[in-house]
Amino acid sequence: MIRTIPEVPAELFRPAAFDEAAAERTGYARYSYWRSTFRTFLKSPVSIFLLALIVVLTTASFVYPLFAHMDLGAVNLDTETWNLSPNRDHVFGTDGLGRDIWALTWYGTRTSLLLGFVIALLDVGIGMIAGALWGYVRKLDRIMTELYNVLNNIPQTVFLVLLAYIMRPGFWTIVTALCSTGWIGIARFVRNKVITIRDAEYNVASRCLGTPLRRMITKNVLPYLVSILIMEAALTIPYSIGSEVFLGFIGLGLPIDTISLGNLVNQGKNNFMLYPYQLTWPTVILAAITVSFYIVGNRFSDASDPRNHV
Amino acid sequence: MSRDVLLSVRDLRVDFPVDRKTFTAVRDVSFDVYRGETFSLVGESGSGKTTIGRAIMRIHPASSGEVLFEGRRVSGRIDAASERLLRQRIQMIFQDPMASLNERAKIDYIVSEGLYNFKLFKDEAERREKVERALRDVGLLPEFATRFPHEFSGGQRQRIGIARALVMEPELLIADEPISALDVSIRAQVINLMNRLKREKSLTYFFIAHDLSVVRFISDRIAVIHRGRIVELAGAEELFARPLHPYTRALLSAVPVPDPDAEAGKRLTTYDPARAHDYSREAPAWREALPGHFVLGTEGETAGWVGGSSGTP
Amino acid sequence: MSGDTILEVRDLRVSFSLRGRRLTALRGAGLDLRKGETLAVVGESGSGKSVLAKTFLGMLDRNGRVDSGSILFDGKDLARYNKEREWLGIRGKRIAMIFQDPMTALNPLKTVGEQIREAAALHRGLDRVASRAVVLETLSRVGIPEPELRYRQYPHEFSGGMRQRAVIAAAVACRPEILICDEPTTALDVTVQAQILDLIKSLQRELGMTVLFITHDLGVVASVAQRVAVMYSGQVIEEGSVREVFYDPRAPYTWALLASLPQLGVKGEELYSIKGTPPSLFKEVVGDAFAPRNPRALEVDFKHEPPVFPVSDTHWARTWLLDPRAPRIEAPETVRRLRARLARGGAGAAATGGADTGKGGAE
Repeated sequence: MIRTIPEVPAELFRPAAFDEAAAERTGYARYSYWRSTFRTFLKSPVSIFLLALIVVLTTASFVYPLFAHMDLGAVNLDTETWNLSPNRDHVFGTDGLGRDIWALTWYGTRTSLLLGFVIALLDVGIGMIAGALWGYVRKLDRIMTELYNVLNNIPQTVFLVLLAYIMRPGFWTIVTALCSTGWIGIARFVRNKVITIRDAEYNVASRCLGTPLRRMITKNVLPYLVSILIMEAALTIPYSIGSEVFLGFIGLGLPIDTISLGNLVNQGKNNFMLYPYQLTWPTVILAAITVSFYIVGNRFSDASDPRNHV
Repeated sequence: MSRDVLLSVRDLRVDFPVDRKTFTAVRDVSFDVYRGETFSLVGESGSGKTTIGRAIMRIHPASSGEVLFEGRRVSGRIDAASERLLRQRIQMIFQDPMASLNERAKIDYIVSEGLYNFKLFKDEAERREKVERALRDVGLLPEFATRFPHEFSGGQRQRIGIARALVMEPELLIADEPISALDVSIRAQVINLMNRLKREKSLTYFFIAHDLSVVRFISDRIAVIHRGRIVELAGAEELFARPLHPYTRALLSAVPVPDPDAEAGKRLTTYDPARAHDYSREAPAWREALPGHFVLGTEGETAGWVGGSSGTP
Repeated sequence: MSGDTILEVRDLRVSFSLRGRRLTALRGAGLDLRKGETLAVVGESGSGKSVLAKTFLGMLDRNGRVDSGSILFDGKDLARYNKEREWLGIRGKRIAMIFQDPMTALNPLKTVGEQIREAAALHRGLDRVASRAVVLETLSRVGIPEPELRYRQYPHEFSGGMRQRAVIAAAVACRPEILICDEPTTALDVTVQAQILDLIKSLQRELGMTVLFITHDLGVVASVAQRVAVMYSGQVIEEGSVREVFYDPRAPYTWALLASLPQLGVKGEELYSIKGTPPSLFKEVVGDAFAPRNPRALEVDFKHEPPVFPVSDTHWARTWLLDPRAPRIEAPETVRRLRARLARGGAGAAATGGADTGKGGAE
């Protein structure tokens, strides 16, 4: 076991000065939750690509109409321009009224994204507060669970159709229809997370200090929900857009004169046999948005789980 | 050490609803904590020791019995003034330094939380001064106030938890296993700190633990709890010199001590309540078997234990 | 080396790649495991004790590797093994391991008896009937009552302590030469822990097994082990019999560790508390890793890593204080008290646990 003792000068065998302050210096990695989350998320080139795609599509759909100044309502009687195949002037062709499909798609995307964002905001906003209270206040659990069972088991489709039938088809109809049942799913998610946090020692500590419920929700609970909420919002958007498209199919979507992805796809499908290109481009954009939000949402959720932070 | 009773627990019982039935976690628990002492409650998991601490802090409601602080009832239905008294004068320190601090809040907020709740400061300057003082009292630098918990080690986080309790200028500190989650060499730091603060601030401690040998060093009196009932209560040295209840003896023989010769001479005794007692005819009662030394048992049992006690087995 | 050494570790270096950087978990660890005895490896978090044990079974995480050093077992160097096939003859069969959480070894979907039987059949080459008999015998040996009934039960039907017994049964049924226990009792209640420790001690006697017991609890060390190795920052810094290390420790870290224990403290006096934190495992260590936190450090401790110095035939420590040129440095009060007890002939207070009350007995 004994190695040869290295050549060490004798004068080094003196007691060294003991620097207590130096000993107190903490020496370990500074871990930041959000920085680690973004680092984990951005590790995958797929995530970066899709995130960039979302940014590009969203920006394009909001910026393009500002510069295009297309008069959507104008009636174009020049039949020569109707239903043109993709050519040099109109890269993706024209529709039955001679409108450029490329341009239309951006207008449509803008509408659909707006719809998606509004629904996501309302759903998540209401769901967050409801879920936090549901999880935290034990007395609410019983009644909220009953409410959840009812709302969750309503056939979404039937309800959507019914509501669209009763209220006239329109932007806010769809918002109302989707939000009135959508919030509870998010609330349930939030409630589950809150229940796991609720009995954590730091919450017991806050209660021992007499912290009121209001502040416990805002300072102790909500900050832990941010990552879930971002994910839920990201997943609600494609779902909303998909619902809008579906409603369009059965004639209960947005008014025909509103340009939306749903309406574009719907009209495109009607003419598919004759003018397939009228369906292709809007569908490609629709798919790109839906898939991107969905994948990015899921990946962000994975990245925000501290256990995945290496 | 005065004989002034600071905290009094009388016939405390805490039930929990489990499925359709009730589970009694704590029953017939009575003890006093005197001002200026360190009173320790030792038990294994499921013994109810943490439940008692939480019941005193009104986290779990007491099903029956009462808790008195400075003579004033703080259990059951109480008025706002009594609740306020409780929340300021009695503070709690928790077991897991990784879980007892809000990860998303700055140290400044964490330490000030109680101050905010009861507006215990005139203005921002006074609040900040109180936080600074509390941090310095526990050996941390005031500049730590702007950082987040994850930037600190376990020992430092535990000290932040102590600062959070201290800033309220409490009289009684309930420490729920404050060192079991810490590394061995860090425990000494926290124990020294708690002892020093006790002297400097005239604090009283109610210490909840599972390690009897550690508790001996810091305690004036020790109570042993088994399955929701306190089975023995005595001065620290007295308990070690003359353990009466068979559970206490079993516990003592089971705790490994860092002394090879002592361990070599030890024989393990086990405690089986079904075999050790016969409570079919007479129920056990809480008795003062020797001066200041209480035990749960029937008259006959207790006499036998006292007679047979000449040292630990 | 004495003739009955069964496992010999020399200068073992293990590192992990983490977030693009290299983390050194073991920096030249060395120890001797003697046949038929229990060696406790004690250290705090970050000392490398668990990593050391895992190298004996080739169970390092995928991002870890043995950089250099040797692990000699039965004439073979386990440190050189890098194929799963090589480990098959060792793992479970000649060296077995039990962990803190019994559920890491138990399959919740199979009956306990069946799991143990499969292992026994595999490692001892037994048929169904014979292996079942072995399992029943082992279950009974580890103190599980009604082995026939328990054989057919699933892990979730066992209590925590029972599960640990079942895991011990599984390890022992295959009659390994070495049993490694990685903090098996840390999560258990005190009374259950005492029973499990008793069990391990008696099994070791009955079966002539060699046990490597990893723990952070010095009380457990005093209870189970004959010899102890103290680890700090990836190295074994002291090794000796339990009496030697507890009553005549030589390394400053061992002093600090013992002096910080409340069980050995004197009421009313401050415990010795070690300032600061262990060094970062990502950075290279120059000299003695404990030096920055050691008020008794010599200047040489900051420049040169202390080699191994013998204290007796069975006791050595890595500290420059044992160099003949080193000045006489006084150990902490607690250590001096312990040394005095050794001089007096050992066991101070009878079986109260020996914790010093400070009263009675001239030191």
